[in-house]
Amino acid sequence: MMGGGLIRTVLLPAIAAGFLLLSPGLIAAKDGDGEKGETVYIKRCLQCHGDEGDGLGPAADRLNPPPRDFTLGLYKIKSSAFDADLVNDDDLFRMVRDGMPGTAMPGWGDMLSEQDMWDVITYIKSFAELEGTPEGQVDYGKQIESSPESIAAGKKYFLADDRCSECHGVEGRGDAIKKLKNDNGERTWPRNLTKPWTFRASNDPKDVFTRITVGIPTTQMPSFADPKSKKKLSIEERWHIANYVVSLAKTKKVVRPENTVIKAVRVEGDLPTSPDDPVWEGASPTTFFMVPQIVGKERFFKAANDTISVRAFYNSDKIGLLLEWDDRTKSIPGDAKAKSIAEGELTEDAIAVQFPVKIPTGMEKPYFLMGDTAKPVTLWRWSSGTTETAESAAIVDAQGFENLITRDTATDLTATGSYKAGTWRAVMTRSLRTDETDKDLQFEEGRFVPVAFFAWDGSNGEVDTRLAMTTWYWLLLTPSSGAKPLIFAIAVALLMGGVLVWWGRGAALRRKNAIS
Amino acid sequence: MKIPRLLQAILVLAGVYFGFIVVFDVILDAVIPSSLLAMYMFFTTAGVFMVFTYDEEQTQELVAPIKSLVEDPTKRAWRNIVFVVVPLAAGGGTYWQMQPSFEAPLELRTIHPAPPSTAKIYGKRVNLLKLENPFREVEKKDPEKFRELVNGGAAIYIQNCQYCHGDKLDGNGPYAAGLNPTPLNFQDVGTIAQLQESYLYWRIATGGPGLPKEAAPWISSMPVWQNFLKEDEIWKVILFLYDYTGHRPRSWEHE
Repeated sequence: MMGGGLIRTVLLPAIAAGFLLLSPGLIAAKDGDGEKGETVYIKRCLQCHGDEGDGLGPAADRLNPPPRDFTLGLYKIKSSAFDADLVNDDDLFRMVRDGMPGTAMPGWGDMLSEQDMWDVITYIKSFAELEGTPEGQVDYGKQIESSPESIAAGKKYFLADDRCSECHGVEGRGDAIKKLKNDNGERTWPRNLTKPWTFRASNDPKDVFTRITVGIPTTQMPSFADPKSKKKLSIEERWHIANYVVSLAKTKKVVRPENTVIKAVRVEGDLPTSPDDPVWEGASPTTFFMVPQIVGKERFFKAANDTISVRAFYNSDKIGLLLEWDDRTKSIPGDAKAKSIAEGELTEDAIAVQFPVKIPTGMEKPYFLMGDTAKPVTLWRWSSGTTETAESAAIVDAQGFENLITRDTATDLTATGSYKAGTWRAVMTRSLRTDETDKDLQFEEGRFVPVAFFAWDGSNGEVDTRLAMTTWYWLLLTPSSGAKPLIFAIAVALLMGGVLVWWGRGAALRRKNAIS
Repeated sequence: MKIPRLLQAILVLAGVYFGFIVVFDVILDAVIPSSLLAMYMFFTTAGVFMVFTYDEEQTQELVAPIKSLVEDPTKRAWRNIVFVVVPLAAGGGTYWQMQPSFEAPLELRTIHPAPPSTAKIYGKRVNLLKLENPFREVEKKDPEKFRELVNGGAAIYIQNCQYCHGDKLDGNGPYAAGLNPTPLNFQDVGTIAQLQESYLYWRIATGGPGLPKEAAPWISSMPVWQNFLKEDEIWKVILFLYDYTGHRPRSWEHE
């Protein structure tokens, strides 16, 4: 009996493990129980992926990207060879455990046990009757560590023959020149490589290498290891590109949750009016996430813009904001090229900055989404213009979505935009104080002013309430602290030193007296 | 070996200081505001000082090391160092303290404000104290039909709520990071497990703008769901929230 127990508990799993180790692609994989997996699937997966596994759950048309259709057995993120039909169980396990950033697919590792996840994978594979192991694996060769030389080489291959830049843009922001679709005919947009938090797997160089090598099945991202490809690359060249892609993510424009304040820097003299003025480098950017407007009126689930970076300067009578946001498309209605890549009707790109009409004295602010009748807000709006009309700046008095009034009188708001390599930069400048004190916020140095942002991508059908938004953040005209802290510091140090010396001398004097 | 009294006092204060940090910042994961910590430490210091200077002898023992540093001629070198370092440190501290802080204003808001006794929902005035989920009784009467209702709620949730509150109901949906305040985590025992179904109904139907002022309705991005969903759809979603998380709604009666 004991012998039987030993065989069951130790030897069989050991043999099984040894067998698994011999078969490539199944290195960490465990046997799952499909029936148990079905129970997990019904509770955790069915709502999106559908009871038939076809990705047609109730929210299919609102999710961006749509849920995977398991009946085809095709997966975007895989590490088997580009021409292998099957994926590694490991690939599926990673997707289930870690989720897919930038999509509705969460990582289940903190809610499901490892066995649950293997069970559900077994069940998911059954939709396409996937069995066996992939015929080939990605050859990683020897990984080339990142270095300035490797990054430079990667950049060269990235741009050569328009290999990667054709879709991902010359600076990697996914500023498409092509209209892309997946195998299902749904519109897809090339990845903005400067935003690693949207990478479906990760931005680890090995993951990036895998994507370059395998491509992304069911999309137009091809394999660059395919010997039939005119743009194929050696293993070494692919590592260089991977290192270059990872380096693109290292920008100053990343969201840090603790940064909720835009600090306007005081300058003497004129404010920069051009978005490309290098003077802007002197103000550090604060970056916020933007999310699709799914709160009011017509809800919109597929906004294209997902971050905005803001810098600010002010002088004795004006404030200038530099707004920077990545937008894959320069939407100029009337432009044939812009029209050809637009999704739906082409309208102007636009951005708006929202302020309350008064600096709040207590905690109370206007409603973050364009105010309401009790507490109106002011929007500073810039639009990119069309082939017929120039770019424009306007002030909108808003009391909620239903109640937006564009001021028709000339205002002192000026705005200029410039588009380059997938990024819009727009400068807005306005007086700190105006005559219309009941409609316009009067800026004051050192006071925290609530501020929010809205963006419209005209090539993505974004007009009116179809937009990307932020909630309230803060803008502060940082006062210079002057010489006061220094004067106080010196005074405290002198006082302290004086007291100590006085005490020490007193003690010495007493000692002397005691001796004499 | 006896620890000198002065060192004892310093150790006690340091222990309390780091104790606060360990308990709040590390264990409770709720960073203690520096102003609050300063206030606590002020009272702790005052208390320690009173205990350590309880009588003349103890007071003498406490200040003896300081006195000897200043008055003992053999400690001249040390004295000179201290006399330079201490005023410089005090000056530096003052300078740093006086730099203007650009921290965003602290906004304290009640996350679960007390509900009103009645609210206007779908154009009707409803008594929230008496309101019950009309589908709750089905749970015992007809488990199969109840499952259908929960599944209906799941579909509505996935279509409308998961963007913020997440597929896992953990408040971590794909848009969560872009919202402030962040969406509620229904898995947490401090949210729906502490509330009645009528409370959820009120919160869902009237959304952010329906919050009382102490809960800062102007920053909540919770939509006003009575504009988008039907009454029974909201009740079904509520069934789903409790079913998925395994929490039970609070009820008025003691069970």
